[in-house]
Amino acid sequence: MAILALNPGAYYHVESLEGPRYAGFFDRLVRPEELGDVDPARFDVLLVPCRTPADRMLPHADRLGAYLDGGGTIVATGESNSELWLPGVRFTPQPTNFWWWLTPGTDLGVRVAKPEHPLFSFLTEKDCTYHLHGWFDVPEGAEVLVVNEGRKPILYVDEVTTSGRMVITSLDPFYHHGSHFMPATTRFLDGFLPWVRRELDRGDGP
Amino acid sequence: MSASPPDRQILLVHSHYGAPPGLFALAEERGLGAVVRERDLTRAHFNRAFGLVTTSHLDQIGFLRWSEAVQALLDRGGRWFCNGHIVRELIPGLRAYVPIAQAKRADLVLTAIAEHPIFEGVERSSFEENRGVAGFYGRGHNPPPDGAAAITGVGPERLPLDWEWTLPSGGRMFSHAGNDMGGMGGPDPAHDKVAPRILDWTLGRLN
Repeated sequence: MAILALNPGAYYHVESLEGPRYAGFFDRLVRPEELGDVDPARFDVLLVPCRTPADRMLPHADRLGAYLDGGGTIVATGESNSELWLPGVRFTPQPTNFWWWLTPGTDLGVRVAKPEHPLFSFLTEKDCTYHLHGWFDVPEGAEVLVVNEGRKPILYVDEVTTSGRMVITSLDPFYHHGSHFMPATTRFLDGFLPWVRRELDRGDGP
Repeated sequence: MSASPPDRQILLVHSHYGAPPGLFALAEERGLGAVVRERDLTRAHFNRAFGLVTTSHLDQIGFLRWSEAVQALLDRGGRWFCNGHIVRELIPGLRAYVPIAQAKRADLVLTAIAEHPIFEGVERSSFEENRGVAGFYGRGHNPPPDGAAAITGVGPERLPLDWEWTLPSGGRMFSHAGNDMGGMGGPDPAHDKVAPRILDWTLGRLN
């Protein structure tokens, strides 16, 4: 039971993190500004939700790096500019087509790249398919789990850049779930958060 | 429209990372206000402002510290245009957003409950759809405080998606419980009228 989540305080963060559907997945919520007052090493996972303003994360970049070097896990979801405050993240934005699904038979092109990965016992390809914001150049040895229409990574696990683990995605499910819009994003979190709890949280308590 | 003292200014609170919204750029271009990062707010910003605009990205937990400053702005007759789902009692009387559960198309019908100068000549129903998809304008409501007037209703029950509240002091608050108004774009050119009117309303030039 050791997942620390940041709560940047926009309505979609509050709904996703404090709302009854997912609140039980987070052992402690802290404000980005409080990161300096918390020992992240007491937590197995530090989760940074979608649309966390990067200028509220930048002051903590060194601390996050040290946490990773100590073996910690950081999960960062989309539209938070994680390339600015996490090591080794290289991101290329892409135009978002919000309307692709209006054309019958259209395929957004999202694909699971490694179906045998445990995450996909919790999630389907359809749960990852709603729209795209961009893709990553991942370091050699990173584990690419989901790709876009051009086979570019949009969800990956990096255990090579640091001694810890980074789970990085450009998908922004907390934003849309917290906005009560786009059911696919709720399905994504319905699978993703139990996976984080079961697979990434060592369960030895803070 | 009536004239307002030239020194009236709007405080435009910029909460998300990246470029400010188009409404904010318009206000700066016209010399009507100052864009301030939410993290950089001081009491002096509120003291200097007549009007206040906040976006759906507002850090509501952090903004609670400015509750008294916002109340003081309203108490001196100022105005607050508030976008988004309210999840904290930012000033007394506000209550948490209520979404429409599993909204169907009929639940997203928009109705003009009252005329309002921001919407003059703009059909409220024209905001219902973008490219045939409904729900961008709003899919729920912030429960209005006692005495607030419903402006736009959503769904068959005409839930107050937009409302205006005149406080006993004379200050006014406009609540829009959806995506930021004046920045949603859309197919109807009449929507272009909305952004400058939001600024005029916030300056007390529209009543």
